[in-house]
Amino acid sequence: MGLLRSLGFRAINLVLILIVVLFIISYALSGPASSVLENQVKIEARAVAQAVLKHNPNAASQAQQVYNTIVAQLEKAYGLNQPPIIRTFYIMWDMLSFNWGYSFFPQNYGVSNGKVVNIIASALPGTIILDTFGILLSAVIGIYIGTRSALRYGSISDRGVMYYAAISNGLPQWWVGIVFIIAFAVMLREIHSPIYFPFGGILDPQYFGTWLTNPVAVFANASAVINLLWHLALPLLTVLIVNIGGWAYFARTVVLNVAQEDFVTVARAKGLSENQVVNKYIIRPAAPAILTSILITIPFVLFGGFLVTEVVFKWWGLGYVYNIAITAAGTPDTPVVVALTYASTLLYIVIVFVLEILYIMLDPRVREQ
Amino acid sequence: MSSQEKKEKRRGSGFRILGMSPSEISREFFSSNTGKVASALFIILVVVSIYSYFALPPNFGAMWNNPSYWKFNPVDAPPAWINYLTTQKLAPQVEITPPQSVVQYHGVTYITSTISVADPYTVPWQDIYVLFNGIPANASVALQLTIYRPDGSSITIGPLTPSGGYIDLASSLQVEDQILNFFSSNGQSVNLAPTQSAVPLLFQAYKNGKLTSLNGNYTIKLLVTVFNAASVGSSPLSIIMRGNVYGLMGTDFEGHDLWEGLLAGFPIDLEIGIVSALITMVIAIVVGIMSGYFKGWIDEVLTRITDLVITLPAFPLLIVFSVLFAWSLWDAIIFLSILSWGGAARIIRSMIMQIREAQYIEGAKIVGARGSWILRNHILPQIMPYSLYLLVTSAPGAILTISALNFLNLAGSAYPTWGNLLYWADDTGALYAGMWWWVIPPGLLIAFVAVVFILIAIASEPVVNPRLRYG
Repeated sequence: MGLLRSLGFRAINLVLILIVVLFIISYALSGPASSVLENQVKIEARAVAQAVLKHNPNAASQAQQVYNTIVAQLEKAYGLNQPPIIRTFYIMWDMLSFNWGYSFFPQNYGVSNGKVVNIIASALPGTIILDTFGILLSAVIGIYIGTRSALRYGSISDRGVMYYAAISNGLPQWWVGIVFIIAFAVMLREIHSPIYFPFGGILDPQYFGTWLTNPVAVFANASAVINLLWHLALPLLTVLIVNIGGWAYFARTVVLNVAQEDFVTVARAKGLSENQVVNKYIIRPAAPAILTSILITIPFVLFGGFLVTEVVFKWWGLGYVYNIAITAAGTPDTPVVVALTYASTLLYIVIVFVLEILYIMLDPRVREQ
Repeated sequence: MSSQEKKEKRRGSGFRILGMSPSEISREFFSSNTGKVASALFIILVVVSIYSYFALPPNFGAMWNNPSYWKFNPVDAPPAWINYLTTQKLAPQVEITPPQSVVQYHGVTYITSTISVADPYTVPWQDIYVLFNGIPANASVALQLTIYRPDGSSITIGPLTPSGGYIDLASSLQVEDQILNFFSSNGQSVNLAPTQSAVPLLFQAYKNGKLTSLNGNYTIKLLVTVFNAASVGSSPLSIIMRGNVYGLMGTDFEGHDLWEGLLAGFPIDLEIGIVSALITMVIAIVVGIMSGYFKGWIDEVLTRITDLVITLPAFPLLIVFSVLFAWSLWDAIIFLSILSWGGAARIIRSMIMQIREAQYIEGAKIVGARGSWILRNHILPQIMPYSLYLLVTSAPGAILTISALNFLNLAGSAYPTWGNLLYWADDTGALYAGMWWWVIPPGLLIAFVAVVFILIAIASEPVVNPRLRYG
């Protein structure tokens, strides 16, 4: 029961964070940036009015009437005729119910009907694939390296890991991606190498259409999956190179602290084999602490690096859509940017929650409370 | 009390942090190679930042954003030193203000000048600009120039009239005709593509039926006739020969001198790191002390807020507010600092909780010490080293985050930032064209500044964590 209770607490905490983020954005939209929403309403109304005109080109006055009615209705629906604080809650409700409106520049995304929710839904699988592979692989490899190097404290390989971790922590991940593109996509083509990597993208054009509408269908096609993995190679390599160092450093510090504890000395004195000492007396107690550090750094890892890495590789994910929304049209595509912030917060909270469950499973002090 | 005893006493009660005197701390810091390297790199960073402050003109931001300032520079040009690495020798940018004589005769001003240029390059200059300074706008100006080539031939070009204060040889159809006429009078015909400039032909000749560069010394004689000018300056002419390579770091798509752009980034990144770290540290200390020292509801509320701030995703919020409110670099830095003190405050709180229970605090309270006295004498000295460590560790994160934001073309400043240089490189496809001089240095410098702070943090770890001190 205690397990469920602490999980429930964390869930409530995380939902609270989601609501706080939502409130901050909604408040900004309702007050200082309310013209954004007014434009949004006009765009929606214009779309309907144009549809009327298409059916009957002579009904200009009718179209105008329809436009006015819709603007009035939508303003009421969005609460634009309400005071800002009430409007904030209208916007929050729209966000929560996935009513994210329409993009200002739908042609930039290639997603039919320009609904923001469709654009983001099409980008979500890409982000999930890169993030899941990236976080899991880099954490597993990094923690392994960190543990090994802590057990060889002071050796050359340990120092090497330390310096690698220090430098990789300071590398802008997206820039490493740029360097990899130059090295493995541009240069390899220039020297006519038989193997060269794609410049970017998530899939070749012939599969990309399917990916936008129905990503599951892509996974049914073996050659499309191979194509996806081929495109994943460089972004994943970038993510790994930069993130392994950080995990290794955390793991090393924690294991080092545990390895100096008295109970480890006692275990050695008892004559337990080195394997047993390492696995049961060092790594096991160190695991929850490593996970805690991961929990604290996830926001940085995810949002500092991953989103922008997607931009560099034109990887169809939340980060790349962010980039399109901000820069492609000259003026920012605000509805998409706002919805993306909400969606990435949502995704982040899901990831943190999964890690919390892992943490509770690993730490007996929390589990048996 | 003898003087010896006084000395002893002073040493015993001297200022100590975590059981170390300041000199011991600095000895500990510099004892490791990391500490030495880190401080050397930090000094380099500071020196370059100061140098850039003096080397760049005060209105550099406005200059950078004014395309006409850079119009004489080659675009997408690699740095000049690649000539040492390749067999191809590319002509560099040349800017000369030659010695010139100004003679006025019957109300007409004649300016004559002779320039000699050595041309050992395989790829010649792409364009020649003649710039006029200090000639009144209503004066009419005509330029005639003769180029004496190393093979004894000469080409005469002109008369040309300036527009906007300069003459651009490559954009003039008359120049093209005159150059092509020179070749056809020697029985050679040159096919120029419509967009191709004829100016490089001045430095080329046919050899075995192929157009190759003609190396040697060139002499260019200029004659400028100025009508309707009451007076002109003493050296009104200057020449710019547009090269294929430029300066120390090359140029970008608008002809910006990337060396200056990179230089401008040094103080900015240093400021980002230090300012955001300072704000983060101050908030973390205040919140940490308050929630650690006062029990009860203050602690409860502050702990909740800290938890919230730790999990708040700063980067998407930074993006969305930069978009909605068109934030500047400084707005973004302050917002980022306001969102990133959580982890540090949590650690400071737990440190204070331990200190609070110590017997000397209890003793101080019993003898009637006030809270502020205890804070100043017992608590702050103990958390100070950790706070400084914190200052250093939170700098790289801020630098990387703000650079990423700049890479998305958000949170801009008047000065070019390294992240923004990379945004333009990405936006104009420089990386697919393999323009390494534009793409590699900004990223390396971002990493350099971040790594300097990280190295300082590593070197100061033994000071903060006594467990590592003798290990």
